[in-house]
Amino acid sequence: MCGIIGLIGDVDARETNGEPGPSVGDVVHQGLANLEYRGYDSAGIALVDTADGLTVAKQSGQVDELAVPELDAVTHGIGHTRWSTHGPPTDANAHPHTDCAGDVAVVHNGIVENYETLKNDLEAAGHTFTSDTDTEVIPHLIEDALATDPDADLLDAVRRVETQLAGSYAICAVREGDDRIVVARRGSPLVIGRGTDASFVASDVTAFLEHTREVTYLEDGDVAALNAGRVQVFHGGEPVDRGVETVEWEADAAEKGGYDHYMRKEIHEQPESLRQTLAGRLDVESGDVDLDVSFPPGVLADVEEIQIVACGTSYYAGRYAAQLFEEFAGVRATVEIASEYAFGAGRTPDRTLVVAVTQSGETADTLGAVRRANAAGARTLAVTNTVGSTVTRETDTTAYIRAGPEIGVAATKTFASQVATLAMLAVLFGRDRGALGAADARSVLEDLRGLPGAVQQVLDEEEAVREAAREYGDSEAFFFIGRALGVPVALEGALKLKEISYDHAEGFTAGELKHGPLALVTSETPVLAVLTEGADAGETMNNVTEAQTRGAPALGCVSAGEAYGTLDVSFSVPNVGVVEPLVANVYLQLFAYHVANAKGRAIDKPRNLAKSVTVE
Amino acid sequence: MVPVANRPLLEHVLEAVVAAGIDHVVFVVGYRQERIRNHFGDGDEWGIDVEYVEQSTQLGTGHAVLQAEPAVDGPFVVVNGDRIVDPSIVTTVCDRAASGETPTVAVTRVDNPQAYGVVTLEGDRVVAIDEKPDVPVETGRINAGVYGFSPAIFEAIRETTTAGELTITATLNDVASAAGVYAVSYDGRWLDVSNLWDLLAVNAALIGADEAASESTVGEAVASETTGAHADSVSVADDAVLADTVRVGPNVTLGGATAIGRNATVEAGAVVENAVVFPDAVIGAGAVVRGAIVAGNARIGPNATVAGEPATVVVGDTVHHDVALSGVVGDNATIGAGATLTDGAVVGDDVAAEAGVVVDGRVAPGAVVRRG
Repeated sequence: MCGIIGLIGDVDARETNGEPGPSVGDVVHQGLANLEYRGYDSAGIALVDTADGLTVAKQSGQVDELAVPELDAVTHGIGHTRWSTHGPPTDANAHPHTDCAGDVAVVHNGIVENYETLKNDLEAAGHTFTSDTDTEVIPHLIEDALATDPDADLLDAVRRVETQLAGSYAICAVREGDDRIVVARRGSPLVIGRGTDASFVASDVTAFLEHTREVTYLEDGDVAALNAGRVQVFHGGEPVDRGVETVEWEADAAEKGGYDHYMRKEIHEQPESLRQTLAGRLDVESGDVDLDVSFPPGVLADVEEIQIVACGTSYYAGRYAAQLFEEFAGVRATVEIASEYAFGAGRTPDRTLVVAVTQSGETADTLGAVRRANAAGARTLAVTNTVGSTVTRETDTTAYIRAGPEIGVAATKTFASQVATLAMLAVLFGRDRGALGAADARSVLEDLRGLPGAVQQVLDEEEAVREAAREYGDSEAFFFIGRALGVPVALEGALKLKEISYDHAEGFTAGELKHGPLALVTSETPVLAVLTEGADAGETMNNVTEAQTRGAPALGCVSAGEAYGTLDVSFSVPNVGVVEPLVANVYLQLFAYHVANAKGRAIDKPRNLAKSVTVE
Repeated sequence: MVPVANRPLLEHVLEAVVAAGIDHVVFVVGYRQERIRNHFGDGDEWGIDVEYVEQSTQLGTGHAVLQAEPAVDGPFVVVNGDRIVDPSIVTTVCDRAASGETPTVAVTRVDNPQAYGVVTLEGDRVVAIDEKPDVPVETGRINAGVYGFSPAIFEAIRETTTAGELTITATLNDVASAAGVYAVSYDGRWLDVSNLWDLLAVNAALIGADEAASESTVGEAVASETTGAHADSVSVADDAVLADTVRVGPNVTLGGATAIGRNATVEAGAVVENAVVFPDAVIGAGAVVRGAIVAGNARIGPNATVAGEPATVVVGDTVHHDVALSGVVGDNATIGAGATLTDGAVVGDDVAAEAGVVVDGRVAPGAVVRRG
């Protein structure tokens, strides 16, 4: 998914009482930031200036890292933000793309299906390409159309090119010396915004909603030319009137698909994001995993210790994974908070593998730990959601979790995909080191394969969780307990609740309850327990009973087919072996959400927190 | 969100509506609405605006339409979520709705009118709509489930008094005898998926249809990718559609009119033909699945068989004869190794059928089927 924005004219010229309004470049840049939910691994801008002509700035990285060129007399500009799931986001592959002469710039959403044929023809005709994208054929085709017919202008050229392209696309084009933005739509969304002295175009109205609510929706096959105060739309060569509509909803609701919060949307996306995480990676019958991580032969067999470094939710994913590495791969595995990490204590660098777990790939604390590991000569591996992020460049190899963009500050679907990816990694290591037999591997992979369906079953029980949140949401504090694989889930469950509801929530190892925290337990402090396979349910239940004896209400996530009659609330977890605690976590996510929602909290943007912490 | 040719049925319905030029769609949602919201989002992907209104208790089709009232401020079209129609009829009904206050109903012809709302006409006026009449009828004309309304219909629905569910046809019968209801006839594609076995026929029809032909080519390309090392030993029919995250083992045969959903697995040597396999399902090694529906996350054990001849199926209180369906396996159900489903067996959600059992009737959700 990508985002497009274009602006021609002056924004807010009247509101600023003659003072210069924001520059075209700044408005385009802000528009890209508004579109970041559509993806954010590379971004670019093309500006047309009466003095300097066409200037393009583009790079891989986040939108706010993109420097807007400082120019004096910019009349119009276009921008693009990209989220690549396949292939690296390099500077060259970022949009806008230009023609050979650098006079025409194009941004594009969608796929040009016949680009290989077009590219071959263009190269044969002498055009030079600088990227691997399908998009780049478009500016070259425009260049060609302009060269073929000296009377043709940008609008004529785009209309001609549009007939040559197969596939689905939304295109915005600008040309040096032409005071228009020309756009075309087929199959990908494109909407025009009508300001007083400015015209906008974007893949989604959120890009410019702060400037105008008057919009014109283009239809498939439309080509339009935008001037500052005028928009002409053509269909099949004839002018058409697409009318003007007023957008009534708020910008914030636009991309949440009818959900009140991204977090709830992302919780419900987990079956699909997990399918994506697992896609093409499990060979259940032979008990093998294909994760596309590359180490020189023998490296995995020689590893003496795996050190996982991470922060926040990723750290808990690491805690989960460490147990799996020890169990499946027979290798010592430790987990360190990234900011505390130091390489030392007599470890042999090339026999130590440091695994950095970070959703964004930009977490400063985790990057610091990776740098310290690299400096010591350790081998490094990244587990991240973000293709081409800094951590992927600074580690030896990367396993992508493929969860798709996550906007809610509280991580949900990325935790599930991190654990699933790390579990596959543990199986891969175990098989490579000969520690895990094919039959055992097969059983683990069958459980992983069942993960999306199991999570869907839990989501279907949301109403029961909402009911429990209503019943217990106003308690003084919440304690989450578990053993073994249930520990990281208890910690993560508590973190979710404190992050978004601001309630006092703590996660404990169940056995530790009686060594101190039990003093905090009263009838006003519900205990939520992970009582599944892989989490020593029977023993944990003893600790639940200790808390209940002190009057605490008890809620449990229990393996299907088991029952603990003394629990106040019991949530059923489908039978999926070692990933059952991960499935139980979905109940805890829903619980946190509904407690916080009932209290009217700012769930997607909790106070004081940021999605990706890029400072140490 | 039942998958037809590997896309939700509702998406096929929506595409007809979008192709008819409608750019604002309101979904009246209830059961498992999150799946619908996740899939359709704000409608960007289809270039339209999508809104959702919730029908918290299902009190009939008229009640459902009533829920949409706050989201509607002019003439509008109502379509059923489980009928696939051509865009042309939506356009026709839409134009009629825009031209006046009189409600419009699309009427089509079928061979089994008694299964539907039978429409009696006088010219282009509706005289009456009889829901599933149990007396023989003279006409093949039925309510196609596409309506054109003005906002006046909301008041008419509120004024309708019925003993049971508040159906839209009850309101239309009232209006027909007062101000009148227009009928427009329609003889284009009309695919009904309100019964499970219809799903197989509609799935086959849509995979075979022109628009899906390109998709099946994609399916083939994807098949060779998903099957990977076993590509040579796997046989995939031209009209089998595989999602891009399907796992297929060696020596598998995927026959015609088959759709297999995301993250589903077909293990070594299994045969799947004329079947709809939902996401996350597993077809075990050596299993044979013919003329069957395997729902989400269901597990068919090794060497199990779901196959048979046209059968009699009992759903609820209704008996359906000569249905081309050998079996249905519900969400999350488990069929043990070597078990056999035949003669239109309907296995409910979460059922566990042990190894070697033979099932030929209806099994209630959550039941355990043991040998003996």
